Amino acid sequence: MAATFSRRTLLGGAAGAAALGALGAVTASTAGAADDLRVYVLVVDGCRPDEAVGEHLSVVRDLAEQGTSYSQARSITVAETIPNHVAMMTGVRPDRSGVPANSVWDPARGEVRDLGEATDLKAPTLLERLPAELGVPTASVLSKDYLFGVFGERASFRWEPEPLLPLTNHAPDIFTMGAALDMIDDHDPALMFVNLGDVDRFGHMDLSGSSIRLLRTLALIDTNLQLERFVDHLKDRGTWERSVVIVLADHSMDWSTPLSIINLDGQFDDDPLLAGNVQIAQNGGADLLYWTGPASSRAEALVHMRQIAESAEGVLSVHDPAELRLGTNAGDLVAYAKEGWRFTDPSVISNPIPGNHGHPTTEAIPFIVSGGHPMVRRGQVSPAPALTMDVAPTVAALFGLAPPPGDWDGEARTEAFQSALLPA
Amino acid sequence: MSQVFDRRSVLKASGVAAAAVAVGGSVATASSVWAEEADPAFTHGVASGDPLPDAILLWTRVTPTPESLPGSGQGPEVEVTWEIATDNAFANIVETGNVVTGPDSDHTVKADATGLSPATTYFFRFRLGDAVSGVGATRTAPAADAALAHLRFGVVSCSNLPQGHFGAYRYLAERGDLDAVLHLGDYIYEGGGGDVRPHVPAHEIVTLADYRQRHAQYKTDEHLQRLHALVPFIATWDDHEIANDAWSGGAENHQPDTEGDYAARKAAAHQAYFEWMPVRSEADKIYRRLRFGLLAELSMLDLRSYRSQQAKPYDDDVDDPNRTITGAEQMAWLRDGLINSGSQWKLVGNSVMVSPVLVPPLPKDLLGPLLKLLGLPEEGGVVNPDQWDGYTADRGRLLDTLVDNGIRDTVFLTGDIHSSWACDVPRDAGNYPNSPSVAVEFVATSITSDNIDDITGLPPRTVGRVIEGALTTLNRHIKWAEVDSHGACVLDVTPAAVQMDWFFLANKNDPASALSHGRSYRVRAGTQKVARVGSPVTVGNA
Repeated sequence: MAATFSRRTLLGGAAGAAALGALGAVTASTAGAADDLRVYVLVVDGCRPDEAVGEHLSVVRDLAEQGTSYSQARSITVAETIPNHVAMMTGVRPDRSGVPANSVWDPARGEVRDLGEATDLKAPTLLERLPAELGVPTASVLSKDYLFGVFGERASFRWEPEPLLPLTNHAPDIFTMGAALDMIDDHDPALMFVNLGDVDRFGHMDLSGSSIRLLRTLALIDTNLQLERFVDHLKDRGTWERSVVIVLADHSMDWSTPLSIINLDGQFDDDPLLAGNVQIAQNGGADLLYWTGPASSRAEALVHMRQIAESAEGVLSVHDPAELRLGTNAGDLVAYAKEGWRFTDPSVISNPIPGNHGHPTTEAIPFIVSGGHPMVRRGQVSPAPALTMDVAPTVAALFGLAPPPGDWDGEARTEAFQSALLPA
Repeated sequence: MSQVFDRRSVLKASGVAAAAVAVGGSVATASSVWAEEADPAFTHGVASGDPLPDAILLWTRVTPTPESLPGSGQGPEVEVTWEIATDNAFANIVETGNVVTGPDSDHTVKADATGLSPATTYFFRFRLGDAVSGVGATRTAPAADAALAHLRFGVVSCSNLPQGHFGAYRYLAERGDLDAVLHLGDYIYEGGGGDVRPHVPAHEIVTLADYRQRHAQYKTDEHLQRLHALVPFIATWDDHEIANDAWSGGAENHQPDTEGDYAARKAAAHQAYFEWMPVRSEADKIYRRLRFGLLAELSMLDLRSYRSQQAKPYDDDVDDPNRTITGAEQMAWLRDGLINSGSQWKLVGNSVMVSPVLVPPLPKDLLGPLLKLLGLPEEGGVVNPDQWDGYTADRGRLLDTLVDNGIRDTVFLTGDIHSSWACDVPRDAGNYPNSPSVAVEFVATSITSDNIDDITGLPPRTVGRVIEGALTTLNRHIKWAEVDSHGACVLDVTPAAVQMDWFFLANKNDPASALSHGRSYRVRAGTQKVARVGSPVTVGNA
């Protein structure tokens, strides 16, 4: 388990490895049903629910037919990649995890930055809790550099994504899946958390997103092949029957034209009170707005900010972050875009990409619980309002892991399983 | 009115009670035993409606004395007792109560039976002195958080009594597998005369007494009465409950010079409706929402009381953002309900079509400015400005709400136009399918009200086919239209899909006419697209 720092190598997480070393003796004595259980959480980043039931993701359709598909599943807000991956592994809302969006204003550093550092994540995750508390090894195979960063060395085993494509900073799915299969063969983790980034990354760049979605479609076709590799691999290894496979997205995707953009920074600068005193963390379909002027003017300033944002064409709604349970680092106000619109702040060229998410129209996601394990219920469509943060309590229920201090915010989706076969 | 009082086709208590049983969780009946003679005090039958998890609205009308005829304003005040039980022998009565009624409410009786258990079949009856009503069967809604696997509704509209017999109601009553019947409006018609059978009164109804007598006549139809007794109704009104093409301040079929003040007529129509229908009312407000566990939520709309006057076809008034079909308050209520629904399927009881029916539909982004310049509707020529097509700003607000908030699985259930339709609902019909479907719409045909073959006098499936071909060719989101047949629909709701089955009458002029399966369409969860399926759902497979 010693860490080897070649980028191609599957790294041993220091915390997880140490925990496994210390608890090695108890590994075999974890909860009965969990002894040979393998759980794989596969995130098809940015996948829309209509794509999950469409013609290009036949493997996802097959998995849905063999398991439970949650027809009303949604991401948590803000519908961005980092907060939803964090929610999947922590089972708690952003006001407890510390990760409300991809990008926030960091007053200490005086910059807007991605929450891609291990210290940004304040809540415990399954990745270190399972090995530490039950001696169950975990792994993370995450295609995006900031996901690799935010989860740090929490997993027992982790893969540092490579090769990273320029502009997208993600590893193509063919490499990510290759790493995932190697991870299974080399370390056989009981829980593996995988992010496949192609569908999202090529969707962001797809200039035909509002019509034929050419790049997006090609990505879907390839990702389907990678998922097929994964299922075939488990079947070839003879481990399919002890596997639970959760396939979901972190958010979906919406496309906008170059004329359907919202620039709030310029409008704030036209207001004498706000000029120079507002910072904006732009998250595609959502803007986090921060008042940085004198505290004595804050209340008045928020009224101005809200009025300007609400009256801007393309803005759907404006919210107090507290009502959304986003936590203090989400700023003073959160503005959402309408479908077909995107924010571009601070300048009108800050966000040139046509595909965006973060706004409510991108909260609908596919969420499927499947696999070959006999406890998986077959052929169900559930209307339960599943959320990304339900993944952690669901996985915890399978392994018999206790809730974290303060309990889960999510809910274990136990209706996807034969209750008699679940651990007590 | 003596013929109403003397009518013999009413349910006999023991007959229905023996026939009504719970099958698979739905109210059901075997072939009902029809009455020899029911107590004349309960000539208008019994009904239930608006099921909640813990309550159901019970309805009847009493005729305590021969002079207490509907609309007469005559007769004494009387106290009526209601009973609701878990068994049809009334050995286990769970709730009972008394209601005082009299001429002020036209001797109608409405009682909200509360304290009931969710998803439970109940039996109910009324007593007036020694007289006992027929026994009704009904069923409460599931608990709000119940993850149920199945619901089934009858879906109907447009039952014009002089234009045929209500064999379609008979069909639904005989199925025995329905959780409720959704009536989407035009439950009565305001006109006089009659082709197949005469309206009562014989003239166009205008006054409160008129509307009361008309409702009373419909409530004595044997098929409708039987369905009311066996399945709870969830009803809304369309225009003919007042007058044709009604809007907030008038109606096409209202002439103030000869028929008086429209507001007075509207108030009379509404009063009679609330007296005679098993619907809950709150200060003349009928739009409301009913929840069926995690599986479905039903928003019943009122698209007549608050709407602006209809525009003319091909008039760009249809795009005026200040014109409304819902009114601002109802629109806010509807949007809020859709956004915050905790249920999977968002069913919208919608009295007029929401899908664009345009000749031709035009891409708004491309040609909208030119059409606006020409004074034409931005989305294309409007065939029927009485539908949502005539109020495009409100439709835009509604459909924007769906897409802006990522709302899936919205199904509009519609009546009004005496024909059958299955449609995808795109936000921009001219750009469909590039403008994707954001909901679907199923339109129920009429129980009896005339459609194309009746109006043209030509054989069915002749000119109708031509019209259907033109509509579906020009409007690619309209997947099916059938403009000749009458009947009833059955809506089957599961987590995986919602399916609408159309059943058509062989002959609407024959009270014993058979019905046969006409067509079925389904929307699978998450798709927002209709697709044809070959077979209807199995009767009783609830």
